[in-house]
Parts: sequence; structure tokens; C-alpha cells
Amino acid sequence: MEEADRILIHSLRHAGSAIPEDVQSLRAFTAELAVAAVVGCLQVLRPSLSSSLSAHLPPGMSARFRLGMSLAQACSDLGYPRELGYQSFLYPSEPDLRQLLLFLAERLPPDPAQESAQPSVGESAILLRAIGARVRELLTEPWLPTALKPPKYQDCVLLKPFHVQPFMFPKANTPEGASEVQEFQGGPLVPPVPAQIPCQAIRAASFLEEHAAQLQELPEGDAPGDTDKAGRRHLAPRLVEQLRQNWGQATSSTSGARGPGRELSELLCTWVPGSGEPRGKGSRFTHAEKFTFAQEEKMAHAPPLAPAEHPSPLSPLSPTHLEQEVQAGQEAELASLQGRLELVGHSIKEAGATMKRLTLSTGQIEAEAHQDWLSTTEREQARRLKRRAVDLLPDAPSNLAKLQVVVEASAQRVIHLTGQWERHRVPLLAEYRALKKRRDQRELESLHRAAELQALQECVRVAAGEARRKEGLYKQLVAELETLPGDMARSAYTHRILEIVGSIRKQKEEITKILSDTKLLQKEINALSGKLDRTFAVTDELVFKDAKKDDSVRKAYKYLAALHENCSQLIQTIEDTGTILREVRDLEEQIETETGKKTLSNLDQILEDYKAVRQENAGLLGRVHEA
Amino acid sequence: MELSEYVQRGCQMLADPGCFDLAAFALVLRAAFRSLLEARADEAVLDHPDLKHIDPLVLKHSHAALATCILEAGKQKADKSTLSTCLEDCKFDRERIELFCTEYQKNKNSLEILLGSIGRCPLLITDVSWRLEYQIKTNQLHKLYRPSYLVTLNVENEDSRSHPDISFNCTMEQLQDLVGKLKDAAKSLERAAQM
Repeated sequence: MEEADRILIHSLRHAGSAIPEDVQSLRAFTAELAVAAVVGCLQVLRPSLSSSLSAHLPPGMSARFRLGMSLAQACSDLGYPRELGYQSFLYPSEPDLRQLLLFLAERLPPDPAQESAQPSVGESAILLRAIGARVRELLTEPWLPTALKPPKYQDCVLLKPFHVQPFMFPKANTPEGASEVQEFQGGPLVPPVPAQIPCQAIRAASFLEEHAAQLQELPEGDAPGDTDKAGRRHLAPRLVEQLRQNWGQATSSTSGARGPGRELSELLCTWVPGSGEPRGKGSRFTHAEKFTFAQEEKMAHAPPLAPAEHPSPLSPLSPTHLEQEVQAGQEAELASLQGRLELVGHSIKEAGATMKRLTLSTGQIEAEAHQDWLSTTEREQARRLKRRAVDLLPDAPSNLAKLQVVVEASAQRVIHLTGQWERHRVPLLAEYRALKKRRDQRELESLHRAAELQALQECVRVAAGEARRKEGLYKQLVAELETLPGDMARSAYTHRILEIVGSIRKQKEEITKILSDTKLLQKEINALSGKLDRTFAVTDELVFKDAKKDDSVRKAYKYLAALHENCSQLIQTIEDTGTILREVRDLEEQIETETGKKTLSNLDQILEDYKAVRQENAGLLGRVHEA
Repeated sequence: MELSEYVQRGCQMLADPGCFDLAAFALVLRAAFRSLLEARADEAVLDHPDLKHIDPLVLKHSHAALATCILEAGKQKADKSTLSTCLEDCKFDRERIELFCTEYQKNKNSLEILLGSIGRCPLLITDVSWRLEYQIKTNQLHKLYRPSYLVTLNVENEDSRSHPDISFNCTMEQLQDLVGKLKDAAKSLERAAQM
């Protein structure tokens, strides 16, 4: 009973009723506690109903009465089978209260800590739990107004959009030997890289974007599925070949007086015929070069913008017309230079066309030469043969005979050689076949072994996956176990439950034994009473037959009847005693339960409360009359 | 943490004690952090007398590489071990790695704030102001006698160009409904925390 009470009180506390800690059994439940417990349960089960019910007993008697009636109504609405009234809450008796609270506790929804209907394993559960833990952490932080918080990256501040500006990354130690670009990049006109962008957010964004682009440009294909890189890999040897060919022709056709930069640009010109500007791989380099040259030219003519490092050839105080003259001169020079540039471009194109024609003709001529050489060798062969024949002609018959002999001898030799060859060939062929068969066998074996290995690897992989999964599951369960509330020892519960089950089993055995004993006794009784009746009937008849003739036999018959009568009365009284004893036991039990209900004390309480209600009524009446 | 070829070359140049000694390295490191985290772009950040003896191209290359490295580390929120493995790959020795890590730790917060402030976000409500209004009559209907609320939501956008403050009018019930719904939203986070 104690245990059951404790479990009940624990579940009531969990449902939210405020029951003090030291109350451990239902005997100690006063009206206050009973009301608090029931209202707590109702708040969970029917929140709409119980919003008007308070968990404390109001001081006024009529208010208490009303509360009791509404509680009784609510409980019977829920489906409580027994009858309820205000007395069950205001003057609670232990067994009734226990039944009511058990009924309500059964209806309570299960413990929310155990109500995890979601999948307890799997990555989504882990993620959800991590989210829950982080949100709990954040909720426990105290609230601060936004202006007082120290800035942290978590705050939802106004974000600046991701804009990117291109900037110039200086490259040191590049394998290309172009030093003008490096000089320019190292010079004062190119500020250090982060300083090239004034806005801080754009700076950071541009750096990240540039780095991502650089990562994509790796020459060894780190992303093997990238078709761009595969295309470039195809392109590279072709380019090298083309450059080598054109380099050979370019160095042979141009003078070596120009710098390497010019030659490279010419090469690129010839490689893409018909275009005046170099395109393709050298774009950044050539653009930088053009920029460098243009910059150098500009620096030679315009007043420079750089502060104080390059003193300007013109003083800043010269009058305006001098500046205009200088500007006109610059424009003329610019025009002449542009004309020269065009001319040079034209000549480059022409040279390219000529070279193409010449290459074509060279190719053709080489092919013809080759053909001629082949025909020449053929004719040479034919001529030699005819020369020999002509030499042999004067001594014709003997030479003919000699030739015939020679021909026969060679025919014999051929036959002999074929015989030898056959003799060699056959065993070699047999050996070859044998080796081939062995090789096929070995291949089959190795295929088998490879298949076995693969199967084993699969098994290993599956087992590793299982082990990982189980380990993850284990960690999850351990974490869950830690978070579960540990105030009630589960082992104590299970122990008790097992004990109770054992005792119940024993009791059941005893009961079955008693039942079987009772049945045996009853059978005996029935048998005996049957025997009794039969014997009595037989003796009765016997004696009756003789009783008509003899007097003593008639007396004996009367005695027999009386004996039978008295014995049956005795048996009857014994049975009655037994039933009366049973009734006495039942009545004693009832007396015990009734005394447990404390009806007497409750009646006194009721009388007092009745008097209080009458007084209140009188008071209210008086006030009504006054008003 | 992956670094591109350019950045790796720059860092290898920094790690070379013949090119940069420890003091120069510390200067370049601090200059890199300053140039990233300061709002104004300073062109003279590398103009220190101790750095004059280094080839300016090499200096700029390594400065750019260092800045990229710092930003990548900030982006991936690298802890000390990841940083040290990455720098060891670029052939840094222990002291320089220590220096880098301490500087990074010092500036970690501001770096994260900088990186976290890039992006797009919807409108942000910063403040709410309200006024009570009591309508006695309108032109079309006299003897109205109806209270209502005039609520203004102060809204911020990144350039506050096209979204002025949002003002609206609502009755008592509508306001209670709105407040109730917002309270539900606030409570839903607590319920989510129970998971």
C-alpha cells in the first residue's frame, strides 16, 4: 500500500499538483491536499474545464461547497463510475480517495520524458537533440538590450551584401622570365593587396572569392571529373608541339634583335592566323605587357600622378598655352605611332601568309622527291637483273644446263628445309598449347581468389558499418540515460514488482491447493451423504417390513427414524455454524473498512460546517436587508 | 583547410628565414591583420623601415598570401591544431606558428564579426512605437467613439533605401491576437528546446 501510494503521489507531483515533499501516503491527505491533487490532474486532462478551478480551498464554506460540486462534476464527466459529491473532496475517506486518484492518474498522459515517439536513432535525432541543447543554452542566458551587448558574430546585425572587386595579385618567382610585369607589380603604383579595396566588407569578400578561383585552377587535376581540366590536358601537348614548330620557323625568319616578349607575341600571332591580336593562354601576360608598355609610354608623355617619386619634366606653373601645345604634340605622336602600328600589323599578316604558302610548297616537293626515289630504286633493280641475263647470253646452252642444275638443287634444298621445319614445328606447337592451357587455368584461379577477396572485403565493410552503428547507438543511449531524471530508482521498482509477482504466484498456488482440498471434502461429503441416504433407505425398508409383525422391531424402527432425524439436525447445525462464522468474518472486515473512513469525525466536521454555512447565510441575509 | 598554390608559395616565402627573419615576419603578420580588420584601407601598411631590405614583390606576394590564409582560417573557424598542421605543410617552424596562432587568437572575434557581417538578410525590425487613438467621428460617420492603436515598426535595411518604416492601425482585439501569436512564437522555441 505504501509503495502504491508513493508511486501515485509521485505521478501526481509530476502532473503538476503541489504536494509537499513529506507526504508519503494517502492517509495524510487532508481536504486541501486532495483538492490540490485533483485540480492538478484536471488541469492536465481538461485544461478548459479547470481554468476556473483554483487549487486552493477558499475560506468561505459556500465557496468550498461550490468548488467541491464542480470538482465532482468534472470527475464524473471524465467517466468516473462511482458516485461523487462534494463530500469526497471536503471530507475525504482514504479508500474512496485512493480509487479516485488512481482513476485520474491512469488517465494522465504518460511522462513526457518517455514520450519520445520520434526515431531514437539516426542522424536526424542527433541533430535535433543538438539543436535542443543549443537552444536551451541560449534560453538560459539573461536578456540584455541590444545596444548594451558586446558585439558577437551571432548577433543578427545588418549584413552587407557580398560584392567582389577584382584586384591585382603580385606574383613573385614566376618561371616566366618577364621582368617588366614583376617590376610594375613590385613598384609603388600597385599598393599592397588588401589596400587596393577601400571598403572592408568588399575586401574580405574579394579575397575569399579570389582564393576559391585559385583553388579551381590547380594544374594537376584535383577534381578528376572536371571536363575543363581534361580539355586543357588534351590541349597542352598540342600547344607545346605547335609552339615548338612555330618557334623554329620564327627564329629562322626574324632577326634576333628584339626582346623575348616581342617574339612570344609574334608566335602567338602566327599560331592563330589572321588575327592581329594575340589571344589564348597568354592573355593575362600580354595584357599586362600591353598595359606596361602603354603605361611606360604614357609616363614618358603625360604629367605623372604618382606623388613626388618621378619629378615631372614640366613645372606645374607653366602657362596654359604651353600645355595645349604639348597636348597637340602628344596627339600627333600618338597618331603617327598608331599608323606605324597598323603598318607593322599588315606586314606581320603578309609574312604569315607567305610562310604558309612556302610551307605548303615545300611539303609538296618533298612528297614528289620521295616518289621519284622509290621509282628509281625499282628501275635500278630491273636493270641489274637484265644486265646479268645479258652477260650469261653468249655461252647459252651450258649456262642453261648449269642453271637447271642449280634450280633443281635449290628445289631439293627447299624440300629438305621444309621437312626440318616441320620436325621443329610440331613439338613447339604442342608446348605452346600446353603453356596456354596452364595460363588460362591460372587466370581462372586468380579470378576466383579475387572474387573471394571481394566477398571478404564486403563482409568486413558490413561488419565495420554495424559496429559503427552500434557504437553510435550506444553513445546515444548513454547520453539519453544521463538526461533522464534519476529520482526514482528503477531497480527498486523492478525488485518490488518481482517480489510481488512471486508472492502472488505463491498465493495462487495456495489458493488452488485450498480449492482442491475443498473440492475433495465436498466430494467426500456428497459421497457420504449419498451412502447415508441409501443405507437409511435400505434399513428403513428392511425394518419396516419386519415392523408390521413384531413390536420390538416397530420400536427399533421408531428409534432408527429418530436417530436419523437427530443426526440430520446435527449436521444442519454444523453447517449453520460454518455459515455464521463466515458472516462474522465478513462483517468484521466491513467494520474495519468503515472505521477507516472516519465517518464519525467527518460527521462532526459536517455539523460544524453546516453551522458555519447557516451563520454565513444569516450574515448575507442581514446585509441584503440593510442594502 | 585547403590553400591554393599562390597562397602556399607566398607562405613558403614567409617561412624561409633567409627571406624573412622573425621580426620581419611578425611585422608582416601584424600588418596583414591590421589591413584586413581596419575599416580604412591603409596603403602604407607595409612601409616599415625593417621591411625595406626585402624585395617589394616578394613582400606583397607574401602579404597577400597571409591575408588570404587568415581569411580562410576565419571562414572555417579553424582551431589551433588545424592551423598548425596547415602551417607546417607550408614549412613554417614552431616559433612562427606560435606567433601566428597567438595573433589569430587575439583577433579572432573581430575576424568572425567581419566574416559574419557579409551576406544578405531580410528586413530587420529594431524598434516598435505605438500610439493610442480615439476616434470620435469621421466625416462620413459621427459619434464613432472607438479606440485603436497606431503602431510603427522601425525597420533597417543595409542601405535603408527603399523600405521606410512600416506603420499600421489595429483594433484592440487584433492587437491582442497579434500579441498572442507572437507569444506562441516565443514559446515554441522553449518547446523546441525540450526535444
